[in-house]
Parts: sequence; C-alpha cells; structure tokens
Amino acid sequence: MKLADIRVGVIRIEGTNCEQESLDAFQRLGTAPEFVHLKQLLGIDCTKEETRNLFDYQCLMIPGGFSAGDYIRAGAIFAARMKSQLARPLREFVEQGYPVLGVCNGFQVLTELGLLPGFDETIRNVPDACLYLNDSSRFECRPTLLKHENSGTCVFTRKIPKDSVRLIPSAHAEGKLLFPQEKQDAYIKRLLENDQIVFRYVDPDGKYAGYPWNPNGSPWNIAGICNPAGTVFGMMPHPERSFYVHQQPTWTRTGLGSEIGDGRAIFESVVDYISKKF
Amino acid sequence: MQLDSLFTKRPRTKDVYDINVSAASDPDLLQISDQMGLALALPEMKRIQQYFGERHRNPTDIELQALGQAWSEHCCYKSSKVPLKKYVFNVNEKRIIAREDAGVMDFTDDYYYCVALESHNHPSAIEPYGGAATGIGGIVRDVVCMGAQPIAFVDPLFFGPLNTPQAQLPKGVKHPVYLLKGVVDGIHDYGNRIGIPTVTGQVTFHDGYTGNCLVNVGCLGIMKKKELIHSWATAPGEVYIYVGGKTGRDGIHGVTFASAELTEKSEESSRSAVQVGDPITKEPVIHACLECNRKGLLQGFKDFGGGGLSCVSGELAYSNNLGAEIHLDDVPLKEEGLKPWEIWVSESQERMMLVAKPKHVDEILHICKQWDVPAAKVGTVLKDPIIRVFIHGEKILEMDLEFMTGGPVYDSCQRPYAIPQPVEQDTPVPLPKDLTLILHQLLSSLNIASKDWVIRQYDHEVRGNTVIKPLQGKLGYECHGDAAVIKPLEHSYKGIALTADINPRFMERHPYWGACSGIDEVCRNLVAVGARPDSLLDCLNFGNPEKPERMGELYEACRGLGDTARALNLPFVSGNVSLYNQSTKTAVPPTPELMGVGIVEDVRHCVTSDLKAEDDILYLVGKKTENELGGSEYYALLHHNSGRVPRTDTAQLKTAMTGLLEAIGAGTVAACHDLSEGGLAVCLAEMAIGGDLGATIDVGALGDLRSDLLMFSESNTRWLVETRPEKRQDFEAILHDAQVPFTTIGRTTKGHLTITKSKKRLITAPINALRESWKKTLWDYMG
Repeated sequence: MKLADIRVGVIRIEGTNCEQESLDAFQRLGTAPEFVHLKQLLGIDCTKEETRNLFDYQCLMIPGGFSAGDYIRAGAIFAARMKSQLARPLREFVEQGYPVLGVCNGFQVLTELGLLPGFDETIRNVPDACLYLNDSSRFECRPTLLKHENSGTCVFTRKIPKDSVRLIPSAHAEGKLLFPQEKQDAYIKRLLENDQIVFRYVDPDGKYAGYPWNPNGSPWNIAGICNPAGTVFGMMPHPERSFYVHQQPTWTRTGLGSEIGDGRAIFESVVDYISKKF
Repeated sequence: MQLDSLFTKRPRTKDVYDINVSAASDPDLLQISDQMGLALALPEMKRIQQYFGERHRNPTDIELQALGQAWSEHCCYKSSKVPLKKYVFNVNEKRIIAREDAGVMDFTDDYYYCVALESHNHPSAIEPYGGAATGIGGIVRDVVCMGAQPIAFVDPLFFGPLNTPQAQLPKGVKHPVYLLKGVVDGIHDYGNRIGIPTVTGQVTFHDGYTGNCLVNVGCLGIMKKKELIHSWATAPGEVYIYVGGKTGRDGIHGVTFASAELTEKSEESSRSAVQVGDPITKEPVIHACLECNRKGLLQGFKDFGGGGLSCVSGELAYSNNLGAEIHLDDVPLKEEGLKPWEIWVSESQERMMLVAKPKHVDEILHICKQWDVPAAKVGTVLKDPIIRVFIHGEKILEMDLEFMTGGPVYDSCQRPYAIPQPVEQDTPVPLPKDLTLILHQLLSSLNIASKDWVIRQYDHEVRGNTVIKPLQGKLGYECHGDAAVIKPLEHSYKGIALTADINPRFMERHPYWGACSGIDEVCRNLVAVGARPDSLLDCLNFGNPEKPERMGELYEACRGLGDTARALNLPFVSGNVSLYNQSTKTAVPPTPELMGVGIVEDVRHCVTSDLKAEDDILYLVGKKTENELGGSEYYALLHHNSGRVPRTDTAQLKTAMTGLLEAIGAGTVAACHDLSEGGLAVCLAEMAIGGDLGATIDVGALGDLRSDLLMFSESNTRWLVETRPEKRQDFEAILHDAQVPFTTIGRTTKGHLTITKSKKRLITAPINALRESWKKTLWDYMG
C-alpha cells in the first residue's frame, strides 16, 4: 500500500484525550489518520456520511486519556461499549492481520476487551488481566526508560533493535499489569514463550529497577505486551510524546540531533508493516 | 415588621414570591438581603427599592436574587474598580486583541494566544477537592468561550505551614496538609481527565494562609485568528443555546459566598455554594463547542461563571446593547423541584451558552448530540436592552439590563483606604557559625524544597507540546525550572513560556515594592528559559475591602504593578479580583498573584536551569547584590523580622533582559536560573542538584556586604548563568555590548558545592547531601 492510502482510525469517546498527538504521529509519517468517535462505528446519532466501519481502516489506535472518566476499572466502559456491538468485526479485523495499538488508557481498553494478552483466542469474553492502581496509589507523570525485549513478533517495534533502551514518558495512575494471582507465573511464562513481552522498565544503567523507574510496580517490570500474533500491542508509556527529541525531557542536555525521538520507531514500524503486507 | 408579611406567594406559579420592598423599612431591607442570602448592603437595597418604586410594582424573589448575583463584589468589582482603573489598566492596551472572559494576544500571523487567571479560594478552603477541581473547570471555560483550544494550566497555591499544630488552627479551619492534598487531588483529577497539561505554578506556605488558603488557576489557549468569538450576541432574533452539564442546586450563591469573610460557620452555611465538577462532561463540551465555532455556526459564546444563567444571559445581551428573553422550562435540570430563582442563579458546572442564528440551531444540536452533551434552546435575543424571564408562560423577571447588569456605580461610594507606611529598620542578624547548615536548612524549608510530590501528580506532558518541563535536569535528578515552554503549533518552532510568581513575605512588608518585585521575578523566570515577556495576568487576592488597611494594601499593590508594567510596556491582558480572603483570625498577606506569558521565537534555543558539564564558567548577571533581606527566606529561617525588601530598577531590568535574551538566542548559554528565594547560594545549589554536578564559586567580587548577606540576599534582576569555555568570549561580548553588568564567579565541578569569599571557605557540601535536604521535606508530610 502507498503510505497516503493507509487509513488509521484514532478512536475516541468522552474522556479520550491524547488523540491529537496520536493522530499527529501517524500524519507526520504520511499516512491518512482520522478521528473516529466510537458512536460513528456503532452507528449511533450519526448521519450516513459520518458512519464508519472498522474495515474502513488498516490500523486502529486507542489513545490515552480517561475514557468515560475511568470511574470503574480503567478502560472498562470504553471496552464494554465497543464489545457490545463490535466484538465480531474486531475479531475479524485482528485475524486478518490488521494492527491495533493501545497506548496508556488504550492499553487498558485492549486488556478489558480481551484482546490482550490474547493467549488462546483472538478476543476473550472475560479479560485475562487488568491494569491496576500504581503501587504508589498516585498518578505518576515521569520519564521512563523502556528496554525493548521483543524478538520480532511485535509489528510495532520491528525497527527497534532488541535490548536497546528508549526514553518514553509515562503518565498514569493505573499501570500495573495484573493477572489472576494463581496464574501470574504461568502467564508470564507464556508471555515469554510467545515473545509477547515488548517493553520492560529499566533504570539509566539499563537494569530492571523498582520505583520510580518502574512507576507502577508492574510485575516483571512489564511496560508493554503484544498478542501472540504481534499485531495487537498495548503499552502504558506514551510514544506519541517522544516522537521528536524536543518533546523529551533531556534535550537541553543532549542536543536535538536528528530530532528523531525515541517513540517514533513504533509508528514507523507499524506503518512499514502495513505498507508491505496490504 | 414581621418579615414574612412582606413575602407574597404568586398564585399561579409555584415557588415565586413578590417581595414588598416598598413597604420595607431600612432594617427590613437589610433583613431581606440577609434572609435571601443576597449579601447586598443598605444603599444597594435602597437603590432596588427606588427602581421598583418608579415602576409601581414590587420585585419578585428571582429579581432580587439576580441583583444579588449581578451586584456582588465578584461580578462587578465594586471595590477594586478604582485602584485598578487608576494604576493597572491602560498599559500598552493597543496590543490586546480582546479582553473578555480571557485575554487575547497576537502570536503568529495566523494564530492568537488566549489566557486567563482566576481564584477559587473560598470553595477550596471549605472543600479543597471540589473547590480546586471546579476552579480548573471555570478557567478552561473562560478560554474555550473565546474560541480557543486550551493547551496548558498554571496552578499557584498558597497554604499555611504544613507543620502547623492542630491545636493552633482556628475553629472550623482545616489543616494545611489536608488542604494541600485535597487541592492537588482536585487539580490532577480534573486537569488530567480533561487532557490539558498542568505545566507550572507555585506552592507557597505562609502563616497568613492558614485560615484561608488561596487556590489560583490560569489557563493558556491557542486559536486561529478567524476563530476568535466574542461574548456578545450580534442581532435580535438570535437564539440562546444552553450546552453542557445540567442545572442543579450545587453552587447556589457562590459569588456572594466569595464576597464575604470565612467564619467557623462557613462549612455549614456555605457548603452548598461549592459546586461539583465533572470533567467527563466538560471534556466533550469543549470538543462540541469548539467544533461548532470552527464550523462558523456561532454568533456569540460565553461560559456560565459566577451568577449562573442570570449573569451569562444578561451579559451576552448587555455587551452589545441588546436584550434577552429566557424560558426556564427548557433548562436541563439535574433534579425535580428546583425553584425558579435557583435555576436562575445556580452555578452548576460545565455549562456554556451559545448564541446562534436560527438556521444553525439544528446543526449545533446535532453536534452536541454526537458528543452526548445536553443542549437546548432556552431563549432569544431582543432588540431592546431588557431581560425577561418566563416559566410556564408567566413572566417572573423583567428588568433593564442597564440596571441589572450594568451594576451600581460606586465612584461616589469609594471604599476608604489607609496606605500602609512600611518601616524598614535594619538591625543586623548575628552571623551564624555554620553556613553550610544554613544552606541545608534553606533547601529543606517548605518554600524552597522540592515540589516534585505535587508536580509529578499533574500530567504536564499531555498534548505532547511541553518542550521545557517543570522539572529539569539529568534523568532522575531533575530540579525546579524557571518557566515551562509550550510549542503549540505543529508547523512552527515558535513557543509560549509560562510562569507564575509572587512573594507574600515581600508583599506583607511592602505592598508596593513587593508587587514590583513580583513582576521582576516573572520577567526573570521567562528570560531564564529564553522567552521575551509578552503579557501579564494578575489575580488580586486580598483581605476584607471594608477594612481601610486592606484597601490600602490593594492600592499600593496596584500602584506597584502599574508602575512596573508601564515601565516595561507589558499589558495586563486578563485578571481577577478575590477579596474577603480573611478568616476569623487574620487576613492573607496581600497576594497579587502574577502570571507571565513569554514568547520564544524558536524553542530549540531554550535553556534549562540544570548545570550541563564540568569546567564551565559561572557568571552572576544583572543588578548588584544589595542588603535587601527583608522578607527573605534567610531571615525567615533565623526568625529575624527586619530588613528592606528588594527594590527593582526597571531600566536595569529592561537592559538586562535584552542582553541576556540575545546571549541565549546566540547559543552562548548552557544553563540559566534566576535568583529568588534563598538568593545566590540556593540558586547555585538548585542548578547543581538538577545537573548532578558540583560548582566552586567565590563571592568576593560581588561587593562589600557580609558574606552571608551576599549569598542569601534576594535582590531583584539577577541570574546565574553557565557558559561553556568555548562560548566565553561570545557571551561576554554580547553582554558587554548590551551594557549588562556581569561578574565571573566560578566554575562547575564534580560532586561538591563550595562557596568561598576571597578564598575563605564559607560553604562546602556534597551535592548528594544537598539534594537529600532539598528533596525530602514535602514527602515527609505528604508521602
């Protein structure tokens, strides 16, 4: 596909709020992203021209924010609304290899949808995991360092060398990836076996570290995972906030260099994947 | 006379009363004002009596309530108009594009920026979480209703000391730890949820705020020039469309509550005046309204603020000499049984009023529906400047807008004021033995210590445009910066810098020079990151204006603001007045909070405060360090109540800003930090903490003052600058040509901070130890 033909749907509902910078990231790479309100996909309160179908897009992104206020479990309401009508098309979308990205609240939504970790089926009826309150019990807005540990499964990080460390900031109150307690060890083992672990929090020396480098207390320092196929990817930190070096916190120390920020490769990787595959 | 006999229930309409003011004696009038919660004084009640007497009828309760709202201090600034007009207004106003709910200024060829600053003090003192959250909700509406997309918040906060013993709190006053936690929770829960970054502010502690904390909030927005919309209707026949949250009983009498002192009974009597915010209603309201505006569907646009439906309906029409007819039956309600006057004055949150041509109404309602935002047509614009309100077809309010919204003219009723006469005797303080210990104590003092506990709970990066962040430095070692910088446009490197400052210790000692110093500090902070000061906002938080001493402070502060701003040619583009910040025991120190907006031509030239490398050269740039320790953190630490507060010399400030900005723009500055609380020693320590580097400086060349005074004086117009050795010549040449005084004072090193005077060692400490002192204070109380 030509870049200009790649349509990315940046899905939003009330309380979604990182949509502009997420859309910008795709736009800067020459693709054709657009905002799409979930109601446009559900066909509620829309004119015919406003109505959209999942298959109008080659990539979906659920951006960060506080969808519906996150007053229940983070992402739960967004997921429930989406699943109520779109479970089947969403399964088909993913099974055809179209990629889905969830950042921060989007990761929470993908987990609540049952798309992640996606062990045995594409989309599970009941979530296998959740993103739980940070160990600090506080919202944490801070720079985080992510070590890329994926061996090539995840289509969103293929342009990032394995074991390299990326500076991508976090800003969330609920980012601790939690599995049912009795299944946690087994699940992490499966994530490892399936090459589903994508990013892990490290300190400036590249070592797995506790708070604040792991801002939420996530087990195994997990910051982002993909499904076994590598096409559904969720991460808590915000790559759209480090698309350029001038968005990063240390540029006045390091200089701007090429202006290629640490998060940009995530968008480039998926755009490259789509342009080659479809 | 029995008061009840003056109230007659209307036969047809439920819950509407006619009030027989014509038969009321003066004490009756005051009692009516009191019983109805109008907070109007006798002359105002008599003016009402006269108005309705001339019309041969009595007012309804809804009419009196409307007047109570419209004429409150909060809505029409009856005390502050005189000093504001005399001193603060009329500075370079031709540059101001619009000054309505928010101020609008030129940014680029195609864009304006839009700013507002407000207080939410009394609600926050009673209910810190809700008070602070709705403060944000209010300021964001002010910016949105000019047609701008909000892009940053600024949150200046003032509390009593966190170590105040519970037993010392006046009755009914909440502990500062509880208030700080509640306010910060309110700000991050609301601000983070609506997706606008909170990028700067100030957190200041002082005994004077124990009984009455101050919560100010500012907002920056950006808009295309053609999207600017005004807060007025344009022609008769246009339609009022109510958009957003439903109307309920929350926030009744918010403005009258804001215009009275806090007492121990405030909790009980005024709890209903605190509104309930809902960010998840607000967020789509912003989307929907801005979309309507972008599509050119609106004629006028204003937010519901103090005074609710009453004020917004009146002002939209009155501003363009038109009138309005409103039907309360169509207002979306939270609950059954609201009385008409309650609907009319409720300050429920998240509401906007749009004015549109009839042909655009359907499209507007459709857009709102898509965002699930309640919207309803509630009225029409009239040709004559009269406001009429109907319920069930019955007219229950009819007044001339000139009378209701125009407000009473108070020039003849000017409040008495007593200009304070500061006495600034200067008795020397005994020289402390261990100045290193003093530096540690200063770094761990509440006003200087790290505010990372607060800052990291705010999302300061959402929208992805925060290029200079509130915490600056090496990863994991960040320290406070001077100002934050936003890069608002995708295709331009032009930036907007924001800062907020005032020093209450200066203000309480000398309101005039304290105000001047406030502007000096705003300018220093903006220049320190490489921004040219462009405009100012003021939020005047003062005590009870009925007390001449408090009014005197207001006059002197306004005079200081006006003199300094005029000399620098900086307009006050927007502002707010909050009086009656007074609890049972004390008034707050005069606090004219200042927000400064600076322009950065290219954000890639911005600098931060953290030291960058070893063996760089350190300069002190700007004004001479003087014996100006009145109100300093050093004297406060030593409980030494003496000294002169810093003066400012605007000519020197102007010269220094120009020269330093040129040096920064030329890339000769590696780090820059302004000298404020704690003076030179604290400034250097902060730069070292953020860069995780050391420094050795000698203060011998700075003058003949005693060494502790040289290190801790808070004289204005000074910056500490780090420059790479290879840039030394260029830097010095630029400052020399610009005639900016500078002194080479030392070098950056590894690991240790050392200050000497003529080679005699005054202070030496490892950076890690200084960081420890600086970092832990707030966590000890809040963590």
